[in-house]
Amino acid sequence: MNETNVAAVIASIRFLAPEAILGVAACLLFLGGTIVHDRRIWGSVALAALGLAGVAFVAAGAPPAVSTAGQLSWDPLAWWFRTVALSGGAVLVLMSWSELSDAHAADYHACLLVAVMGVSLTGAASDLVTLFLALELISIPTYVLLYLPRHDAAAQEAALKYFLLSMFSSALLLFGFSYLYGLASSTNLSAVWKALVETRMTPIHSRVSSAPLALLAVVMVTAGLSFRIAAVPFHFYASDVYQGAPTPAAALLAFLTKAGGFAGLIRVFGFAAPATVAAAQSGELPVLLWILSAVTMTLGNVLALLQSNLKRLLAYSSVAHAGYMLIGLAVASQAGAGSALHPSGLAAVLFYLVAYGAMTLGVFGVLSYLGSSGRPVEAEDDLGGLSRTHPVIALLMALFLLSLIGIPLTAGFWGKLFLLWGALATRGERAFLFRCLAVIAALNAAVGGWYYLRILARMFLHNAVKPLPRPHAWPGLVAIWLCAVLTLVPGLYPAWLLRCAERATRSDTEPQSTDRRGEQQAEIPQEAMPRRGG
Amino acid sequence: MDTQLMPILVVALLAVPLIGATAAALLGGRRIAAVRWVSLGATLFAAIIAIVLAWGFARTQAQEPETPLAAGQVATFRPFFVPGADSDHATTWELVRVGGSAGGASIRFFVGIDGLNIWLVVLTAVLMVSAVLVSWTAIRERANEFYAWLLALQTAMTGVFLAFDVVLFYVFFELTLVPLFFLIGMWGGSQRRYAARKFFVYTLAGSLLTLLGILGVVLACYWSTDELTFSIPRLVEVVGQRMALDSAPEQVSWQNIQFWVFLAMAAGFAVKVPLVPFHTWLPLAHVEAPTAGSVLLAGVLLKVGAYGFLRLCLPLAPWASGVIGMPLVGTLAAIGIVYGAFCALSQSDMKKLVAYSSVSHLGFCMLGMFSLNREGLSGSLLQMVNHGLSTGALFLLVGMLYERYHTRALRDYGGLAARLGLLACFMVFFCLTSVGLPGLNGFVGEILVLAGAFQSQVTRGEWPTMAVVASSGIVLGAWYLFRLLREVFFGSLREPSVQGTRESHPPVRDLTARELGALIPIAGLCLLLGVVPQILLDSIRRDVDVVVRAVESGRATDPGRSMVRLRGMPMPVNKEEGR
Repeated sequence: MNETNVAAVIASIRFLAPEAILGVAACLLFLGGTIVHDRRIWGSVALAALGLAGVAFVAAGAPPAVSTAGQLSWDPLAWWFRTVALSGGAVLVLMSWSELSDAHAADYHACLLVAVMGVSLTGAASDLVTLFLALELISIPTYVLLYLPRHDAAAQEAALKYFLLSMFSSALLLFGFSYLYGLASSTNLSAVWKALVETRMTPIHSRVSSAPLALLAVVMVTAGLSFRIAAVPFHFYASDVYQGAPTPAAALLAFLTKAGGFAGLIRVFGFAAPATVAAAQSGELPVLLWILSAVTMTLGNVLALLQSNLKRLLAYSSVAHAGYMLIGLAVASQAGAGSALHPSGLAAVLFYLVAYGAMTLGVFGVLSYLGSSGRPVEAEDDLGGLSRTHPVIALLMALFLLSLIGIPLTAGFWGKLFLLWGALATRGERAFLFRCLAVIAALNAAVGGWYYLRILARMFLHNAVKPLPRPHAWPGLVAIWLCAVLTLVPGLYPAWLLRCAERATRSDTEPQSTDRRGEQQAEIPQEAMPRRGG
Repeated sequence: MDTQLMPILVVALLAVPLIGATAAALLGGRRIAAVRWVSLGATLFAAIIAIVLAWGFARTQAQEPETPLAAGQVATFRPFFVPGADSDHATTWELVRVGGSAGGASIRFFVGIDGLNIWLVVLTAVLMVSAVLVSWTAIRERANEFYAWLLALQTAMTGVFLAFDVVLFYVFFELTLVPLFFLIGMWGGSQRRYAARKFFVYTLAGSLLTLLGILGVVLACYWSTDELTFSIPRLVEVVGQRMALDSAPEQVSWQNIQFWVFLAMAAGFAVKVPLVPFHTWLPLAHVEAPTAGSVLLAGVLLKVGAYGFLRLCLPLAPWASGVIGMPLVGTLAAIGIVYGAFCALSQSDMKKLVAYSSVSHLGFCMLGMFSLNREGLSGSLLQMVNHGLSTGALFLLVGMLYERYHTRALRDYGGLAARLGLLACFMVFFCLTSVGLPGLNGFVGEILVLAGAFQSQVTRGEWPTMAVVASSGIVLGAWYLFRLLREVFFGSLREPSVQGTRESHPPVRDLTARELGALIPIAGLCLLLGVVPQILLDSIRRDVDVVVRAVESGRATDPGRSMVRLRGMPMPVNKEEGR
């Protein structure tokens, strides 16, 4: 490690404070949990830690210059993911508040905080090693979370299944990373991008070409990360694990893990890096992501049609939504972040991630709020007549479902609109492919309408078979309301959230890395530059 | 005074039903009477606003001098009474900014009044009053929610008509689905749940493709002019200018784009209209919906589809409208006219009969629209209003009959004219307007549509097959409607036995004052438009001209270079010689 790296690390400690707070709080919870058993205390501690991290986050202010030389880069993208992680974490803490037994509360919240920390670090990672460690920080607590609150056979199966497949995906990811390292002889991501660009420069058939190596690396890394976002064909675990896991843990899988996976994809392939880098990569990656996206959303929606268990349905719905978000990544990998027509694919993904988080966490929040250990909300019939027994909750649930369908005045609508916009706005040789992708997405959204409406119909158009009891847990209610606000406000006025998302994608356009850009521009052929018009 | 007040009224037209809906929802399920009166007040207020706007619009149209277009200028829609307007008939109210900081554009809250939408707005407002009145006693269960959804639906429907921003149009277009889903699903008949979901998903699938088409137009305009805009008038202008350019590659690329854009946009509207192969949701939804829902579905929501064709498809894809729209949609419309009529003829359920008659009548609207000339387009717009009035009223009457006897089967009834004189009078009257009796509104519309269709095919040197087929629809229409009248109202008296308590089934009486209040305004409008259709035709003339000119600009481009060449189109060589 040379001198500049050391200086960068020292300078970035201040910006690491929120993660440090979360880590310390997690240790405190693990230790304290052995002495005091009270879910209220530990819930409050977890919330306080998240709040404190948020304060530290705001207080640290913007870093003077973004450096990509170190292990972590505090660029706007990192800030975006940190915000997402902290707020998602707060909602999850509230959601699981009354679901937990006193004995497990401390451990549970500690694991949750570590996972939040992992997502936040993944969003900031600028080094293969950091990225992998951050991703593991999300995975390892998840194994515990899946198993902790329940000990029945279904939960055990879920935990084991997730554990094994997660290990497998980590291995795939490491395998891919090792190839990337082989190409770049450095673990630094900007070096990796540079190596990938150089690979594309050399003619494919020459003996010294490392293109096959690069392709293998890209495929492996995508596969490893696809597991976390539950993209087909790495989605198999989703339905069983969601069904077997306690509802808040399933919500965590549906949101935090997925956010971490997307952060990883965006980081490792440098979608937020200067347009030149992303454009130079636009070899196989857009096609790979295109196929992944089309297959994921189609299969997710079709399989969701067949489900009658709510959690299985939500699992497949989350698969489908991962497919929608992959559209944005495919677009970003094709056009580069510097596409002329904002919102770019990447900004659309970031926007959709928040919308998806709000609506999915909302639905899970409703299920966990209404359910109790004696009477879990599992089948669609359990929600029958909800509009009569719990009118307000039914209305909020309707809001989340309409957002998932993509009806206007909800965040989900604008998210889909921006994703489709990105796909249609793509130009160049693959423009036709992306238009097809937009049509596939539109038809998929209509298919999705059918099963979300089935739930909606169950709540509003049917009578209760056996009315659910009226719960009194206010933290769960607060979580639902938070999600509702996050669904409705960007739905009514999307401009602000979109502007933030766009700012987050402009990571490296500031003058911090002039040295790097100078040499890259010399290397990149004219064809690889993003073109407009024609 | 006008310039200040009118834009506020346009906003109020959207806000008043929404406020009414909130009030109705908050009043709770117990205070049914209060809920009813609030809803009636809101709809009446909205109706008055709509009429004031129509009057104001007619006055500005009369004052407005006809300004000839300068060379190179393209006629486009000119919305009046735009809230937050700048000098150029556009609004400054932004929703979202897209396209980056430089050269970007905003999706705006751009609403206004022009010739194409003013009458549909009035129609919506008038039918809403009737819809509230007819639900007065029919809806007892969860009445506050019913009226809340009904009023929310009014805002969405009015919004579709008023919108001058493509994305805003789409937003309102989609928003009509949600209230209607609940209206059908909660207060409908025995198959209501299935009907509601089928309706929703069918329309959603189509409208998502419409969204792609809309975005496609915006992007195509951006790529060719570097100007990003979501405003419909501006897009019409840009498309018109590009079509007028005399450069071959430009035109070929535009034709290519228009082909796809037209198909995508038409997908959503064709489901909504509905054109024939996409109509299967309609009978189910109409029959299962509560009376107010059927009235609004038939009266207004089908027009939303036709209006979408008129507002977006024709002016934004003029070339494709002529080349693929005219043969494709025209044929489907002609088939729909006859098919719908035969289906109506074979129904034994009154509501289903009226529902299928809508398929037939909307065929007339679409046929007129896709004759792409002034007569056809004016007739089509007039026919939209006519169909809204007469079919809306027929659904009202069927609903009133159902409320009395709790059956809709034709064979249960006979000779009711002796028993319910007033109801029979109105039924005969509205059947006659629907059939197109001279002196009533249906006549003018149908004549214009058929004239347009004849003219369009004859000038292209074809046999006027579509017009001939469509004409048979008028005869069939008379047949099924008179069959309805004969079986239900004439002949020997046959009343369905009314079983049940006195409470739930009060003795059958003729129309009450409330029901008369629901029917008389509609009948008055029918008569008015039948006797002096000129008030409507005058006020829509300018904007129909815009559409006609847009379509002609599309047709003027040389078809020899087009990918799709059709029988009957002049050959390229002839065209060159003709010039």
